Amino acid sequence: MGISIPPVRTPPLGIPQAAAALRNLERRQEIVANNLANVSTTGFKGEQSFARILDAQGVAVVDAQTDRRQGALQRTEAPLDLALASSGFFVVATPDGEQLSRGGSFRRDVSGYLVDATGAPVLGEYDPRGGTPGPIEIPANARTIRIEADGAVVADNAQIGRLRVEDVAAGTRLEHVGNGRFLAPTTRTPMDGAQRAVQQGALEDSNVTAVTSLVSMIEIQRAYSSAQRALTTIDAARGIVVSDLARPN
Amino acid sequence: MNPALRTAASGMLAQQTRTEVIANNLANVNTTGFKRSRAHFVDLLYQTVQGVANIAGADADSTPAVQIGRGTRLAAVTRLHANGPVEATNRPLDLAIEGEGFLQVQLENGGMAYTRDGSLQISDQGVLVTSGGLTVVPGIRIPQDATTITISRAGIVTAGRAGDVMPTEVGRLEVSRFANASGLESMGENLYIASPASGEPTIGFPGEEGFGRVLQGHLEASNVEIVQEMVDMIAAMRAYEINSKTIQNVEQMSDVASGLIR
Repeated sequence: MGISIPPVRTPPLGIPQAAAALRNLERRQEIVANNLANVSTTGFKGEQSFARILDAQGVAVVDAQTDRRQGALQRTEAPLDLALASSGFFVVATPDGEQLSRGGSFRRDVSGYLVDATGAPVLGEYDPRGGTPGPIEIPANARTIRIEADGAVVADNAQIGRLRVEDVAAGTRLEHVGNGRFLAPTTRTPMDGAQRAVQQGALEDSNVTAVTSLVSMIEIQRAYSSAQRALTTIDAARGIVVSDLARPN
Repeated sequence: MNPALRTAASGMLAQQTRTEVIANNLANVNTTGFKRSRAHFVDLLYQTVQGVANIAGADADSTPAVQIGRGTRLAAVTRLHANGPVEATNRPLDLAIEGEGFLQVQLENGGMAYTRDGSLQISDQGVLVTSGGLTVVPGIRIPQDATTITISRAGIVTAGRAGDVMPTEVGRLEVSRFANASGLESMGENLYIASPASGEPTIGFPGEEGFGRVLQGHLEASNVEIVQEMVDMIAAMRAYEINSKTIQNVEQMSDVASGLIR
């Protein structure tokens, strides 16, 4: 009579899942840490992280989604501080192509162009009342600059351009690229003038709420302890198998 | 080392910078013509930690790449040129500009500087100078025997001598304004100089379209609002504290992780 040897799983069931949980929780904690570090970053959108079970073995991976909720608007009265009270994004030109921004402390650069806080030109669009596609040049001798809700840039009562404001359909993934900007998905569409709510002299606060982030940090820590406990328990059980059951009598 | 530690440290540094800016605003709560500043932050670059993942067997159902940010950094400190409250001093050579515009002064090196601090004096040469001794441009000479000095809302300076029926006009103040006053470079002593970001000044007379009027016997107080700064300071302190909690939390998790091996 032959002895059937059960197939050996290495590592035994349970350990990869617990190890993946530990790794994922570390990632999630890094995401929360980044949200909290950006609690006062203008126009910042927090990331919500969650675990997702991917394969039949039940090993989870982290998934994260940008929280697109509106941050509070803060009045600054500086003429080139721009925020959006509606959905949508301003479009800026960077060496890596067009990127999206929720606004911020814009300024006029050396060549007279409207640029964002990091110096990337903010792009305009064609408008029959005045405006051509491309960067917006602010005349050096302009006395007043007014930016209207639909993005029209008016210098001394003459429209000199209109800001591009584009929207990304809800559910589309937004990728952060740093510097308060997002990668521009190909599915973005120009927003209708009437739907835009460009606010001059205001900045959008970060939409990170400290309390929620602290709560998730605690949750992550507790889950981390549990996963660690699970892993050591499985390991201890294995230890018993090895040391007790295998002991020759 | 867990990257969350560095992320949290960047957050703490940002809040520290913010507190420094607030501290300077508060220190200048009584500085004539002072304009408050605000620190602006942007997020740092993101790192892709997990590529696009496909569920085995289901092509359509995949999770996109996961990116994790690495904290925040200071992007700019901008000055907010909102007008401060105008306070009466009843001193004839105290000027406040009600509305937009800066008084122009000449620096020792011949360059031009701009100020909202209108506490003027008469120099030993008899010309109008700022409290720091810099000549106001255009130069206005006040006669030595003048007993009264009147400055109209339009900036016309007249001097009255004892025995005069009509005071004599001795000059007219000019003011400058900028397309983007936030872009002015500040050089301390309440002075600003033009920069590429601010654009070239537009010069005009007080009271003209787009320019503020001159108020004699008044000074523009600092536009720092104590309550606003205190609120910002509390927010900065709390944010600092929260980021320190992240560090504490990471540390506790590392502790748990090291418990894996007994």
